Amino acid sequence: MGEAEKTFLSGLHEKLVEEKVIDESQLEPGFAKQIQKYGGKDVMTCLQCGNCTGVCPISLKIDYKTRSIIKFCQFGLKKYTLATRWVCATCYRCYEHCPADINPAEVMIALRHIAIREGVIPPFIKVAATNLVRYGQTVKPDQEIEKIRTELGLGEVPTKAPEYSRVLREISVLVHASKYDSLVGIEEEVKL
Amino acid sequence: MTSYAYFFGCIIPNRYPGVEYAVRWVCGKEGFDLDVEETKEFSCCPVPGIFYSSDKDTWLLLAARNLTLAQNTRREILTVCNGCFTSLLKATEYLQDPKRMGKINHVLAQIGKKYTGVPKKTEGRRRIMEPVKVRHYVEVMTSDIGIDAIAERVTRPLNNIKVAVHYGCHYLRPTENQTIDDPNDPVLIDRIVEACGATSVDYEDRLDCCGAGGGVRSHVVDLANSLTEDKCRNIAAAEADCIVTGCPFCLLQFDNAQKSFSKDGIPVMHISQLQALSMGIDPISLGFDTHHVSAHSLLRKLRGA
Repeated sequence: MGEAEKTFLSGLHEKLVEEKVIDESQLEPGFAKQIQKYGGKDVMTCLQCGNCTGVCPISLKIDYKTRSIIKFCQFGLKKYTLATRWVCATCYRCYEHCPADINPAEVMIALRHIAIREGVIPPFIKVAATNLVRYGQTVKPDQEIEKIRTELGLGEVPTKAPEYSRVLREISVLVHASKYDSLVGIEEEVKL
Repeated sequence: MTSYAYFFGCIIPNRYPGVEYAVRWVCGKEGFDLDVEETKEFSCCPVPGIFYSSDKDTWLLLAARNLTLAQNTRREILTVCNGCFTSLLKATEYLQDPKRMGKINHVLAQIGKKYTGVPKKTEGRRRIMEPVKVRHYVEVMTSDIGIDAIAERVTRPLNNIKVAVHYGCHYLRPTENQTIDDPNDPVLIDRIVEACGATSVDYEDRLDCCGAGGGVRSHVVDLANSLTEDKCRNIAAAEADCIVTGCPFCLLQFDNAQKSFSKDGIPVMHISQLQALSMGIDPISLGFDTHHVSAHSLLRKLRGA
């Protein structure tokens, strides 16, 4: 080994020790099992070929690499996966290209399930859930659009009809039965 | 003859009423006169990027509730949105598992509903059930009505229009659920476009994501927009007059994102709106004034000016 190489390697080693050292306390041994519980496949069978990152439209743009996230899952580095899970567009390209048939997009969805149960809930989840319970749809009705609907002769949206209150009650019952209201914190919206 | 139930979802009625008008017009008396009915009790599908991502049990319950409504009227669900399509179709597949179906029905009993699927045939005294059919608008147009019939009804061919087709991810993938089109070389929307007399132009990375799905638009809008910018650059390079998609969420993304990086933008519309134009509808009914990118350039070109 030449002197230059030695210096480079030792430097690299120091850098690794400084920044990237992972001690056992950070690892969660059952993490791969937890992912399976929420519908992801076994991440341990990942070959780390990198096809998923290569085809990922988001990986092109930001420092989010599907392969690295799967690697973190294999190690059980739960906290490393928490920051990136909501940027997956669920386009399922990785699934089409995965030779190990892992379906990384479903792993990301399992990671979202885990994060939500850790209490890391992005605000739009709550907004959408509230809209669903209030209006029966995740998009809030808009007054301007209502006007245009009348002009076109489409009438008001069906969710505005008085009979729709029965549907809203049914939605509330279902959301409450699956404990989704307490999961995302919309208990006060649910009317039983 | 197959009977359908409209499933417009959240975005079309509340953001793009013109698409709703176009679909009703194309499927109604002025168009192909399908046996299609209103089901007023439908709720959100629910949207996969939120509910499928945060709690699969809740997602399946709400989807099963919608499916039972179509099951009881023995109708096929006619979705106009890729998100509704993938969400409901995936739910029918999940409900094929008897254990899971039992669990769901146990909760649905609280609201007096039960998902069983629809009877397909009887073998002796046993009834064989099949899942409720979930159809995409594009699939109904191309397989139930047929390209020839679509072309026959064209009264105002859009001869001078160049169209960039955007399929949208959940129309194409994941393939374990979808079989309506080739995920690596889809053709159905292009065929409808050609049947309307317009030209479908090829552009780079045409199967790429618009960037909105999976909660990305709600979470990091800049990231979603930068994906759309890449697509629009490729579409502009192909000199397309408009973008046509089969998904209102992609439509919303293209329509809203373009003002963040360009002044004029390329008009975007749903495939049903393009069809209605070719069948001679008055463009004023298509609600283009609710779109952020003005469709004037396109309509002027259509008038042959």
